[in-house]
Order: sequence, then structure tokens, then C-alpha cells
Amino acid sequence: MNRGHEYRKERLDRGIKVRSDGLYSLMSWRELSYLTLPRLILICGLLLLPVIVPGMYWQRVISIVCIYALLALSFDFLAYHLGLVCLGGAFFLGTGGYITAVLNATFGLPPVLSIPIAAIAGGLICTLLLLPCIPLRGVYFAIVTLMYPLFFDRLIVALDVLGGTDGIMGIESFPGSQAQYYVPILLVLVCLFGMRRLVNTDMGLMFRAVRDNDQAVRASGININIYKAIGVFIASAMGCLSGACLVHIYMWAGISLLALDFSILPIAATVIGGSGTLVGPVLGCFILVPISELLRAFGTLRIVFYALILVAFIVVRSEGLMVYAQRKYHQFERWVKV
Amino acid sequence: MLEARDMMVFYENMVGLNNVSLSCDVNRIVGVFGANSAGKSTLMYVLSGIMLDIRKKELMAGGERISVFGSITYFGQDITNLKPSQRARKGIVLCPERRRIFTESSVLENLKIGGYQAPKARFRETLDYVFSLFPDLGKLKKRTGGFLSGGEQQMLAIGRALMAQPTFLLLDEPLLGLSPRIQANLMRATKDICETRGISVIITEQYARPVLPIVDYAYILENGSAVLEGSGQEMMNNEDVRAAYFGM
Repeated sequence: MNRGHEYRKERLDRGIKVRSDGLYSLMSWRELSYLTLPRLILICGLLLLPVIVPGMYWQRVISIVCIYALLALSFDFLAYHLGLVCLGGAFFLGTGGYITAVLNATFGLPPVLSIPIAAIAGGLICTLLLLPCIPLRGVYFAIVTLMYPLFFDRLIVALDVLGGTDGIMGIESFPGSQAQYYVPILLVLVCLFGMRRLVNTDMGLMFRAVRDNDQAVRASGININIYKAIGVFIASAMGCLSGACLVHIYMWAGISLLALDFSILPIAATVIGGSGTLVGPVLGCFILVPISELLRAFGTLRIVFYALILVAFIVVRSEGLMVYAQRKYHQFERWVKV
Repeated sequence: MLEARDMMVFYENMVGLNNVSLSCDVNRIVGVFGANSAGKSTLMYVLSGIMLDIRKKELMAGGERISVFGSITYFGQDITNLKPSQRARKGIVLCPERRRIFTESSVLENLKIGGYQAPKARFRETLDYVFSLFPDLGKLKKRTGGFLSGGEQQMLAIGRALMAQPTFLLLDEPLLGLSPRIQANLMRATKDICETRGISVIITEQYARPVLPIVDYAYILENGSAVLEGSGQEMMNNEDVRAAYFGM
């Protein structure tokens, strides 16, 4: 049969990708830069951002973006590397935020100490609270994590503890405005590259195996709950870290830390950025949060435009920006005769 | 008459089907045999139109690009770009691999879902036929699908496909993981479907021995290409086929 008129698009790895896969990447500057350039652009771009953007207001926005980026990173890690869909970003953020607020306002610890302590202690508390539902999968885990922030929100108001509706005031700011801008950015970079390293280790392999088929992992004689708990600890510590930073930026901790925004927006950012890529969610936050700031001009219609952008993204390119970009970077396409 | 001409399917750069042509007349049983990854399921997806769905899903999720070439005609009408639901309404019904029954619904509910489009009289009549074809199912009407044994599930899957009033029934590996006795049972039922209902059956299988005696025509797939075709008797007598697909 003559197929002279029929063509199909072929997708192949770029030569340079194949060349730079192994040790041979050290062969020449071209291969080296193929590997390092995207990472360098990301690092330098993030570090330069506070200098480029105009004015205090946008510098503040960048810091908030980084807070969201940490939450999105934790969501992406839990959902796509461990198979636990967590709708409780606000729970992590609130726990970290309140711990650092108490440590700083009541016990007078400086941010240098209170933030790391809040991250680790918060991670432990969140993991302990989620421990009963760690064996659950799918929608059950999601519902429990969604309920926790609502639960603590009401509890704080009803019992009037931790400042009640007024929140905890008089919290120290970061020492100097430079620190305030650069600490969140550095944290995002460290967490991002740390997580990428982690998911490529043997433990990351374990996490993915638990996501793919927990029965098979159990059949290999491995206790999956331990690995799930470790994963939840890592993710919740990251969330608590972001909460601690946010409290020191706002110099205030209140029940708005447990607002639904902190649970939902990171998920949207993950979808837009490309789930499972880890870089994608961070990128998604850098798109979504500034857009939501720009849309403030529309007043109450803000959410409408915001939702429209989100829906359009999901319908047109549900794979996510980063997945698309990576494919274009690593592969090329050409028409070939069938 | 269902006819696929020069079907070519690429999963990204891998060839799934390579210039495969297949035709099936009315009131015939056609067998498609091949090892794993020979392209049997791909062929079934192409014929039933599910491939279009898979292709779209992969495109949306940024997965592998699936390219499909060739044409499928159904009683002279070109149905290459018809959706799977439209094809099913025309009478091309797939009974998918690994059964895919509705595990949370009872046997009767499963059959009802299959016969949702059928007129009421046809529905009752087909239901009776399914229960006469598989008497075991009749005793288990209220049982939840997930609690059935593998053989009963397969009977249920075939029954559900029959409820959709097929003219061409596509059975994708119906004997997967079943005991020889149930295999023989199912093959008898398949023959009955063809003979008493006048439904054409296209059946794929890896192990040809239980299937070959009932087929009118057979195709052998290897790595996506149809390497051999002929009547059932010709295949039985072919030494290579016996060695490769009969296990003797």
C-alpha cells in the first residue's frame, strides 16, 4: 500500500540530551551548559527578583509567592511522589505559624531559632495528628486534612486560646528588610533542590513505589506506613516552615493562617505548573500569586477572572507548563513519512 | 461487514500495528492470535474506537503521541473517526480485556447498564437469552459484581456486551486466567452467540487451542504485523502455528 501522502509527527530526544545524560556531560561546555543553564536561570532569576521588582509592595508579594511556593512544593511531593492528596496546606502553615508566634512572642526566641524549631516541631505535631489516617488512601486522607484547619480555627476562637480572634501580636520581624526578602527565596531554592535530590534517592524510589502499588510494596516486606509517615513529616515540616516565615513577615499570627486560600492556591499552582515536576508548582505560584495581586483592580470580580484563567489552563493545557517545557527542551519533533 | 484496511498505529515512535487489514463477515467468528505485545488489544481498541479516546487522553495529559492511520468501514460506511459510543450504537460492542465489570453493582444492574440503550422488549428478550446462555449467572442475580469468581465475571462481561445489542461483538482475551473447563464453556457460549443470534464475533487470544476449533477465519499477529491468515482448518494444520500457539 502506498502511503506516500501520509505523514506523522515523530518525537525524538535531542542529541545533546543523550550526550549529556552520563559522565560525558563533562565533555564540553555546550553539554555542561545544557544541563546547568536552566538551573542557573532559575537560581539567578529568583535571587535577582527582589532587586528587579519596583517598590516595597511587589517585594512583599515576592515573599508571599515564596510562602505559597513552599506549600505547593509540599503538596506536589505528597500527591505525586507519595500518593497522598493533602488538602490541608493551611493546617501545616497554621501549625508552623502559631508555634513560631508563641516561641517568639512568649518566650522571646529570635527568628533564627524560632523558625527552624517551628518547622521541626510543627512537622512532628502534624505528622502525629495525621498518623491515624496515614493508612487511608485517596479521598479519606484528603477529607481529614481538609477538616483539620477548620477544626483548629473553630477551636482557637471558641476556647479563646493563642490570642483567640485577635491573634498573637508583637512578633519580631526579620532582622533587616534584605533578610525578609531573601530568607523565603533561599528557603524555596534549598527545599526545591533538596526535594529533587530526595526523590531521586532510594527513599524517593520507596515513596513512588508506595504511590504506585502499596500492596506490592507490602508484599516485599516493607512497612509502608513508616515511609508514608516520613513523607508526611517532610512535607508538613516544609509547610510549617512557610508558616513560620509568613508570621515573621506579617509580625502577627491569627486564625487567617488557617484560611482555605493556603490549601487551595498551592493545588491550583501545582496543576498549572505541571504536577510531579517539583519545579512546576514553584513556577505556578510565581504566575498565580502575582496575577491575583494584579486582579485586585477588578475588586470583587477578581475571583471570577482568577477562576476563568484556571479553568482555561486546565482545559487547554492540563499537562502543566513545566511538563510541556521540559518536553520541548529535551525533545524535538519532525514530520516523517509513515 | 466490518473491515479494517491497512491499520497503522504508532505509540510515540513504537509501532503498535503495522499495516494490518482485517475483515469480518456477518455471522462469522474471526480469531486474532498473537503473543503479548503482538498488537491484539491495540487492534480491538482501533476497531471499537476506544483508541480515539486514549489518544485524546494522552494528548491532554502530555503523554505519548498516538498516531492512527488506515480506514475502517462498516457495511460500506466509513467509521474511522466515529466515537466509541456511536460505534456501539451501530452495533460494534467491545467486551474489554480483564473484564472491567462494575464491581460495586449487582449482576442484574451490570446487565441493565449494558442494555440501557435497548428497547424494552429487546432488553427483556436479551436478558433471558443471557441467563439461558450462562445459567450460573441466573443464580447470582443479586450478587455484587466484585464478589463473583473470575469465570463468572467473564460471563457477566460478555452478557453485558450482549445486552448492548451488538452486530459485531469484540471479545478481547476472554479466556484470560480461567480454568480449562470454564474456557471450554465460554467457547461453547461464543459459538452459540454466533449461531443462534447471528452475531459476528471477533475474538483475540494468546493460546489458540480452545479458540481455534470454533473460528471460521483466523489472523496471526506478530510484533504488530499480520504474518499469517487463513481459515480455522488451515491454521490447525499449519505446523508453525501449532508450535507457537498450541503449545505442542
